Amino acid sequence: MLKISKLDYRQYYILDIPDIRIQEDEAAATCLAVYRELPPLAKNYVMRMLFLDQPLPQAAVALWVKKDSQKDHDQCVSVLSGLRLWHTQQLQGGLQGNILNPIFKDNLRIALLGGGKAWADQGDSLGPDRHARDVDSLDKYALERWEVILHFMVGSPSAAVSQDLSQLLIQAGLMRTEAGDAPCITSAGFQFLLLDTASQLWYFTLQYLNSAQTRGMDLVEILSFLFQLSFSTLGRDYSVEGMSESLLTFLQHLREFGLVFQRKRKSRRYYPTRLAITLSAGISANTSSSVMGAIPGTGDSGFIVVETNYRLYAYTNSELQIALVALFSQCLYRFPNVVVAQITRESVQQAIINGITAQQILHFLRTRAHPVMLKLNPVLPPTITDQIRLWELERDRLQFTEGVLYNQFLSQADFEVLRDRAQGMGCLVWQNVGQRVMVVSPEGHSEVKRFWKRQKSHT
Amino acid sequence: MASEDEVSLLVVVVDVNPIWWGQQANKEPQFTLSRCLDAVMVMGNSHLVMTRNNKLAVIASHCQESHFLYPFKLWKCADGHGDDNTSTSGDGKYELLSVANNLIAEEIKVLMSRTEVKGNQTDTLLAGSLAKALCYIHRVTKELEAGQEMKSRILVIKAAEDCALQYMNFMNVIFAAQKQNILIDACVLDSDSGLLQQACDITGGLYLKIPQKIALAQYLLWVFLPDSDQRSQLVLPPPVHVDYRAACFCHRNLIEIGYVCSVCLSIFCNFSPICTTCETAFKIPLPQMVKTKKKKLKSST
Repeated sequence: MLKISKLDYRQYYILDIPDIRIQEDEAAATCLAVYRELPPLAKNYVMRMLFLDQPLPQAAVALWVKKDSQKDHDQCVSVLSGLRLWHTQQLQGGLQGNILNPIFKDNLRIALLGGGKAWADQGDSLGPDRHARDVDSLDKYALERWEVILHFMVGSPSAAVSQDLSQLLIQAGLMRTEAGDAPCITSAGFQFLLLDTASQLWYFTLQYLNSAQTRGMDLVEILSFLFQLSFSTLGRDYSVEGMSESLLTFLQHLREFGLVFQRKRKSRRYYPTRLAITLSAGISANTSSSVMGAIPGTGDSGFIVVETNYRLYAYTNSELQIALVALFSQCLYRFPNVVVAQITRESVQQAIINGITAQQILHFLRTRAHPVMLKLNPVLPPTITDQIRLWELERDRLQFTEGVLYNQFLSQADFEVLRDRAQGMGCLVWQNVGQRVMVVSPEGHSEVKRFWKRQKSHT
Repeated sequence: MASEDEVSLLVVVVDVNPIWWGQQANKEPQFTLSRCLDAVMVMGNSHLVMTRNNKLAVIASHCQESHFLYPFKLWKCADGHGDDNTSTSGDGKYELLSVANNLIAEEIKVLMSRTEVKGNQTDTLLAGSLAKALCYIHRVTKELEAGQEMKSRILVIKAAEDCALQYMNFMNVIFAAQKQNILIDACVLDSDSGLLQQACDITGGLYLKIPQKIALAQYLLWVFLPDSDQRSQLVLPPPVHVDYRAACFCHRNLIEIGYVCSVCLSIFCNFSPICTTCETAFKIPLPQMVKTKKKKLKSST
């Protein structure tokens, strides 16, 4: 199963960036992005200390929280220290004090209050754009670009993407290619298709970043550009002035994914689209709510109605969406604007064989639920959710446990002594008294073996 | 975390009473209205950067009107196009914030230059501003998409004296806020305000009279920035003793003991035979007693 969570994304720069950031003087955008990812309590700590120029005694910091939320406090302290967002410093009286990392502090202040270098060249220097784009057309553009990628994945003949992109899809394990053949979709790819756009985007971006270093791009540079992009304003144009060569290549890739709009390859200005801006919002834990559907124009907005009789109505005419629905259901009728399908045991089993989980099917249905369905609580009829889960369970009737087999005991007494010992340690997996056979879990094996040796030497 | 999806709306109501701020500028030239607004902007910016879902509104409470400083123009030219002050300062500030701050500065300039103070109206229209804030919150709540939740609170930055004339309106606003689960916080610059104490106490907000006005920004960031979830974890200033005196309906004086109409519960500082609110005539036993005594006297003579 694809694991795409905010955590990945957080880890990504938490693990990689701080070290680098402290060396280089990084842009305010990165600091702001890091700040946003802190736990809420830590955000408040940072805010409280932002305008203090002297270190604060640790004892005073510890008194900020009530006694019963000490655990949260400890967590915040470890997060802040782990990210090196604050330092410990000796105070005059010999006490330990905390002070915010000066680079982080200065940059956050700049982000909040102004000053410092500009983030990106805004289009001002270029004068007004004669081909200015409004928000609607940007949304449409972004959606079209993204759909092309998805279409390419399902193998629509009309969709063509660049060599780079198809390479990336293959590297990400979403598609695979047999020598000389056109790439075809993998089971991970099927799962990918069922995600909502924001998650797809994150998965994809992470894959891109993973491979960025191998293509000789500077990870820090493109990450900070990405952050900067996500803090920009929709519907405004920015200039490519002052961007390095590798950043320009990156911009071309972003253009292909639909994260930015550029009228021509050589155009001096670009417009970030909604996809880019929602990127830093990350993936929230419960994407089941319509929060993600709140990206208007990404085509995720609800069109599916599921009834308790396992009928599914999809009000869409997008080939892609119909193909997705058909992954786990059986099409009955097709009309110009609606597809009627039946969710059956066979169709769900087929999907599960393809590597799709019940959870993903349900998530897909929930995120694409029609507004009428959204008003119901729960959104999907419980009979459907339960049944799909049950169908999934049908497939795992066997459970595998590793173990070590003990057999050929010479006497019943020997067997019983060892069995009781293993049972006492809680590592007995299975036993058969008649045949004097028992299975011990691998963790307990060495202990049981030692016991047996001792036992033997005694007798 | 579910709380990350939640929209959090902060409405800041700033008292911009020109008379009070004029006097203040004479008394303490280092703390003027512009310094106060700077502090408010820092607070607003910090709220906005916390998460993407945080929203902000700023209302100036003048003695003649309540004026939305932010968002105001944004409604007219929805996405910044055609807006003449999109040319941001061109520094390292987060773009959204610099747009918001420019807008606030612009609007307050317009407001202060437009109004001329006439002698008889010097009280801040705080109740009206709070009502506006509630209306705005209601409107934003209605515009939310299905499944989204919003937590909202109001922060009042209060400068001038309380106005007993607004007692009724104020109490209505407080109870409306309580019903909607909206916190009212109060940061008082000058003299204690009984009305705001009650508001904070009833809605569960924080009331703080700040000892040092210069440090307003720091107080705002320390005490008023954390939202209600985090407040339960943090150690914050203890609740103040609340002045629960009510204002009488006849002279708007704050009274401890008074007369209450048994029909409509209006409060009066002195007795009147007819309730001015509901026009109930009170039949008082006392004169009748006198009458019967008189009759008896007559019959005996």
